[in-house]
Amino acid sequence: MKGMRGISVYLASIGLVIAASLTCQAIRPFINPTDMVMVYLLAVVLAAITLGLRPAVLAAFLGVLAFDFFFVPPRFSFSIADTQYLITFIGLFIVGVVIGSLVAKVRERSEALQERETETLSLYHLTRDLVVAADMPAVFLAARRNLEESLKAKVAIWVRSGDGLALVAVSENLCLEDEEERIAHWSFQSRRGAGNGTESFSSSGFTFLPLSALANTLGVLALRRGYAGPPSSRLRRLLEVFAGQIAMAIERVHLVEQAEQAQILQAREGLERALLNSISHDLRTPLVSISGALGSLLEQGETLGEDARRILLVTAWEEAGRLNRFVGNLLDMTRLEAGAIKLNKEANDVQDLVGCALAAIEPRMGARTIDVRIPDGLPLILMDMALMTQVLVNVLDNALKYSSPDGSITLSARDDGSMLTMEIADQGPGVPEADLQRIFDKFYRIPVPEGTGGTGLGLTICKGIVEAHGGVIRAENRTDGGLRVVIRLPAV
Amino acid sequence: MESKTALPRILVVDDEPAIQRFLRTVLSPEEFSVHLAGDGHSALAATAAVKPDIVLLDLGLPDMDGVEVIRRIREWSSVPIIVLSVREREDDKVAALDAGADDYLTKPFGVAELMARIRASLRRSLQEAPEPVYRIEELEVDLGLRRVTVAGQEVQLTPTEYDLLRLLVVHGGKVLTHGQILKQIWGAAYLEQPHVLRVNISNLRRKIEKDPSRPRYIITELGVGYRLRLA
Repeated sequence: MKGMRGISVYLASIGLVIAASLTCQAIRPFINPTDMVMVYLLAVVLAAITLGLRPAVLAAFLGVLAFDFFFVPPRFSFSIADTQYLITFIGLFIVGVVIGSLVAKVRERSEALQERETETLSLYHLTRDLVVAADMPAVFLAARRNLEESLKAKVAIWVRSGDGLALVAVSENLCLEDEEERIAHWSFQSRRGAGNGTESFSSSGFTFLPLSALANTLGVLALRRGYAGPPSSRLRRLLEVFAGQIAMAIERVHLVEQAEQAQILQAREGLERALLNSISHDLRTPLVSISGALGSLLEQGETLGEDARRILLVTAWEEAGRLNRFVGNLLDMTRLEAGAIKLNKEANDVQDLVGCALAAIEPRMGARTIDVRIPDGLPLILMDMALMTQVLVNVLDNALKYSSPDGSITLSARDDGSMLTMEIADQGPGVPEADLQRIFDKFYRIPVPEGTGGTGLGLTICKGIVEAHGGVIRAENRTDGGLRVVIRLPAV
Repeated sequence: MESKTALPRILVVDDEPAIQRFLRTVLSPEEFSVHLAGDGHSALAATAAVKPDIVLLDLGLPDMDGVEVIRRIREWSSVPIIVLSVREREDDKVAALDAGADDYLTKPFGVAELMARIRASLRRSLQEAPEPVYRIEELEVDLGLRRVTVAGQEVQLTPTEYDLLRLLVVHGGKVLTHGQILKQIWGAAYLEQPHVLRVNISNLRRKIEKDPSRPRYIITELGVGYRLRLA
């Protein structure tokens, strides 16, 4: 019977009295009229339990009338033969009202308790879901789902976005008109509830609540319940609690995101410091040699022997080349990281690529040779020639640097159908297994005895370029000693 | 004085004083008469006034785009232009070459390389008609007889391969961009199909180069085009 409203409870209470009267009529031959009072009392108690206090009072009053009319002699008249029935009437009425009010109070209390339990439960569900929501979309989803379920309502949520509001969650089949947007903005700006059940825009079917946390209004929550009529004050309070919870969750995710960004920023700053240290070292070292060599040539050029002059010049020349390569690497790295490298992909010949790489590395090869094994008939590969040449040069440069002068270096290529595979193998010491991945990290350098160390950028750049081509690059130790770098590019 | 006026005139266009000084030093006064310009407008003015035999042009000028300078010079002059440009700007180099520049050098460059390019450009501009026979190492191309030999052995080329080689020979030592070659040999319709050029270069190399992985004659200019090496 819960949920019955208005006139129907009174009709039900009349029905109970009629039922009592019929029962009394049925058992009249067997009992004393005074005992029928019990039947009417029963009707009053039932009314109190199921319908509430007022229907119970009505039942008591009607019960007295019906009892008088139908059963107290003279029957079918309100007049009474025996005044002692007056006591019975008054007793029936008073007992009915007292029992009715007692029972109704108990009923109301238990109803309130039940309602509170439902509220607590729905609040609990909402809080639980909001707590585990890790990001904004999850918060909005949890809020929408819970409100829909526990309030049987259609929900819309806006949050602040720049200067305005952005709709971030809306129930299915819910159509929002300009009017709703307008009220939402109003509620957001005035930081007050609006719509159904409030003083502003009360003709709207929706109830609007600002989502406020600390000093900020974060957004607006709007909901429309399945049935008409303004929400009770209790529901309003519940809604406010819901809105508060949602606002707190939004604020929390905000703060977490900010904290994460701060952390990322800090990590980046640390990395940048390390990078700056490394760069300044790598830039300075050749500069020191160059200015040292040139300085001594300037100051004591005359007194130096021909050989010494030549050594100084060669040093300055070589170091200038190294500096140039380092700056080039640095620029490549920066452009790769900034995503500013635009691949100029064209169908290119692998042999041509290898030729360009060999030509570029030749000045640094000295007496060493590179064994090239490229089969005829390789397909053209879509690639940026300049960048891929850079990849091969960097890998070959490492092979030259880290292997002994008498060890051979092999560059081979083959077509695996869907992929083109290029391998550069040396007979150097290889790389500790644990570091095979790390050699592609920025500024990772293999510890080497004397000054052959590179910039720690070469392979990182290779990885960036190869991956930009949709390929993979990896390194592995050869079973018979040395390192093999494998580059695979899509052959399409 | 008389011998001085006979020296080739070089116009150096660069806004960096250090580079100006460097070029002025290496382009010895015994060999060249060097003129300087610090920006595009004075470069155009100097080209008209000095009538240089060769222009060394930095693409990064303070007042106007270097490619634009080339275009304006080309409106009335065919003076050889060598572009000086930093690395990683292949697009700029191609634009400069397509606008009419004859060659380019990537900064930083060696003096030997610079002198070689200058001399090659001067030689090309002085030469009325190309030599009918081109020889480098073991390769010999006789344009009159349409005969190509490697170490005395005649090589059979397809007509396209021969046209390609002939184009490179005629412009010996000069960079030809992919676009210029495609347009000349296959026509403008093939500008977007560079793979036909790649395939033909690859085949040509296989026929004339000893080791196609280490080409000695046809040099790839990364991201720009090809160049036939001069003896």
